[in-house]
Amino acid sequence: MKQLSIMVDLDRCIGCKTCIVACRNHHGLVDHENAMPGEMSHYIRVENELTGTYPDLAEDFWVVMCQHCKKPPCIKACPSGAIAKDVQTGIVRIDKAACTGAKKCLAKCPYDVIQFDAAGNFAHKCDLCYDRVIHGLEPVCVEVCLADALRFGEKEILLMHAEAEGKALIKKRSTQSILYVKSPKG
Amino acid sequence: MHRNEWIPTVCYQCKAECAILARVEDGVVKEVKGNPLARGKMCVKGMAGITTLYSAERLKYPLKRVGERGEGRFERITWDEALDIMEKKLRELRERGEAHTFTYSMFPHSTTDPKWRFVNAAGGFISTGLPHCDSAKIMAHLHTFGCFPNHHIAPMYYTVPKGGLMILSGRHPFGCLDDACVPRDILNAKARGAKLVVIDPIFRSEAAKADWWIPIKPGGDAALFLGVCHYLLTNDLYDKAFCDKWVRPGDMDNLMAFIADKTPENMSRICDVPAADIVRLAKMCAEAKSVCIDAFKSIMYGNAMDWGHVWSILLVITGNLDNPGGQPLPEIAPMAPVTPVPTAPNLKELGYHRTGPNKDRFDHYNFILEPTWYAAQAVKEGTLKVFFASECNPALSEMGSGEWRKAMTMRDEKGDYKLELFVVTEIMPSETMKWADLVLPDQTNFERWELLYMPWWYNYGHTAALCRPVIDPLHETRHANRVMIELGKRMFPEYFAFKDDVEYYDIELSGVGMSMQKLLDNGGLWSPGTAGFRKYEDAGKFNTASGKIELEWRMYADIGQQWPSPELPLEFRRGEKEFPFILVNFRTIFLNNTGAWSQNNAQLRDPVSGLDANPVVINPIDAVRLGIAEGDMVTVASSTGQVRLPVALSERIKPGCAGLIHGFGQTMGKVAARGNWAGDNELIADAGSHLDEQDLRGGEAHVATRVNIHK
Repeated sequence: MKQLSIMVDLDRCIGCKTCIVACRNHHGLVDHENAMPGEMSHYIRVENELTGTYPDLAEDFWVVMCQHCKKPPCIKACPSGAIAKDVQTGIVRIDKAACTGAKKCLAKCPYDVIQFDAAGNFAHKCDLCYDRVIHGLEPVCVEVCLADALRFGEKEILLMHAEAEGKALIKKRSTQSILYVKSPKG
Repeated sequence: MHRNEWIPTVCYQCKAECAILARVEDGVVKEVKGNPLARGKMCVKGMAGITTLYSAERLKYPLKRVGERGEGRFERITWDEALDIMEKKLRELRERGEAHTFTYSMFPHSTTDPKWRFVNAAGGFISTGLPHCDSAKIMAHLHTFGCFPNHHIAPMYYTVPKGGLMILSGRHPFGCLDDACVPRDILNAKARGAKLVVIDPIFRSEAAKADWWIPIKPGGDAALFLGVCHYLLTNDLYDKAFCDKWVRPGDMDNLMAFIADKTPENMSRICDVPAADIVRLAKMCAEAKSVCIDAFKSIMYGNAMDWGHVWSILLVITGNLDNPGGQPLPEIAPMAPVTPVPTAPNLKELGYHRTGPNKDRFDHYNFILEPTWYAAQAVKEGTLKVFFASECNPALSEMGSGEWRKAMTMRDEKGDYKLELFVVTEIMPSETMKWADLVLPDQTNFERWELLYMPWWYNYGHTAALCRPVIDPLHETRHANRVMIELGKRMFPEYFAFKDDVEYYDIELSGVGMSMQKLLDNGGLWSPGTAGFRKYEDAGKFNTASGKIELEWRMYADIGQQWPSPELPLEFRRGEKEFPFILVNFRTIFLNNTGAWSQNNAQLRDPVSGLDANPVVINPIDAVRLGIAEGDMVTVASSTGQVRLPVALSERIKPGCAGLIHGFGQTMGKVAARGNWAGDNELIADAGSHLDEQDLRGGEAHVATRVNIHK
């Protein structure tokens, strides 16, 4: 299997959203001159879960981007064959030129991460910074992560790191290619 | 790929001023990130700085008020006209012998910030964010063990050893106000075996990562730590060798006498933390290899001086001064003076700008800046006649917004405004500019030169960093420093004989064997590479009058403040029945508080990448009692003001508290004006006219004001 991945360490993610804005800047997703809140594309979002009642509380933060599914429903849904899982890297990529703007992929994505550019009539999303990683760089979100909560690499290697550091895989969130880990409660 | 086009410069989306890299493509800033040569991180606000730079809403040319103050109507003028207006009024003020009624509210980027130089030459005063933030903490540390009187000297988390203890008391360092690398450094310290304790009425991201969250009654910090000190001192768990060597003779005996009744049980009743937990925290402090404390909200409790004093005492009795993992005592880079240096006006001689009925009692306070100062009261009393403001938004950041607005439009017997001239420099439309006579378009950090060399926040690593223009300035903007240098050349040519800001910085850099060219060639950074440890041992003394640590503040004996009080000032202990909730003002990483440029930044007010809501947060237990549901509109009222806001219910807030994010309420700019949010300062009393004891005990009252909540 070839599968590049990001490992999200819930011990470290603080939900600061730095990655979201850096990703937008890098991929040119914002019209800085006229942008308005609520109207900008984003390839990443932050989620959190607060559990317990005052004063016994716990909270986790993590990021959600394209999960680069093993069997991507978006590929199956696309009527124009514009989406493919790259055999070299396992990255799911949308070919903007081939996209006809049918939006079928948006509806089928279980993670609600595909964006639509109305002006250009194409779907777009996280491609793990394909143009960077093929030149040996990390995805932008990994490079800028404020808390060093993100790690990039071959999925199996990341799993090996997690095991070596005593971090447990959060299985319900790690069903595809992005990994979510956390130290067991102790 | 653009790997070789990154230009080193400095961020200015907040006061931390992190060293960054900017990628410029065909004269356009495309990307930014932390500079790996200087801690390497940049937060979400910094990342969104490009949106500020290119926003269509930026102020583009000088504006002059037409109509009345508060209407926000302006006409375009030239820079020459603007400079003429400022020069004429300041000359008139000097001729009247009232130069000291000129105040410039600013955030100095170095101890020789050109704006500050102008103020000194003009005989005016500087007011900074200090009165609003942590002057009390600075003064407490200064009084007790002497230190560079900087805005904020945070612990160096990268020095915390395994077994060290990090205490955050009402502090939100994941919000990156110290440096964008701080979250990483705290998490790294934890990963190597340090403990994190968070004391806060609100459970936030730091508490989520903490080994122990201690919810506390707002204002209880001084009491909590007096209880800790009591346990340490009465159980022989303090650093006796350190105290014997460095504490002024007699102070330890007097401290023992003072602390005798500050038992964990007695202090528990004030701070609402169980006595057993106070003892547990004391034991953790005693066993830890190092202890550091950072605080912010807690120094706004209205008993800020008391808490600052207790904080200082705890650091001393645990021996945690200038050691790895303790409280750093950084020094300033020895830059060369640009001679002749204008002398600052004599505060003692002219009288403190301090306002309020008890202003004479502030003669005890000896500080290079105003200790606490309230613009509204100063205008009313006629001690503030010309006001310049840069990089601040007093219409929203001054305590008592209503009184501030009233003062801005107050007239004398002839019908003229009592505040004769009000000048604002800004990047984006701000609430404050509505009341200004002149609005001058400022430059972003991507367009200006600025030499930073404060031992600033967390930036001990770089010590000097250069903010440089990476693109040509947009529109007719001019950096406030350059405006003040030009005005200085007109009015005080002897003090402004240098060519421009670049030459000014060039002269200063010669003090460390550098020049602007060398600094640019070196990636815009200069550093000795270490802040050092236990420098007092080399010096053989602390920087106090006695050369020893002065636990007892003997100069305050006549106002009964030689030892810290565990209690909040009287005004915050009154009215519990009428105003059962305590307002807890808090901050986030997404917005630079009231800063107009972040409030008007589309990415920072975007719900996905920032924050776009400011409801009043209460615990569900309180909501049930009041019959209030999630989303209900309520009136939050204090004794001096009220706001109408939706309610958000959350387990994360201590019952009896009402949480409100500081910084909202702006009506200028289409991004900032989104939603009917309100500023917390509408609720907080104007200290000059409404508060009494709090004035003497420092700090703001952001986190102590009592409110009630009803539908």
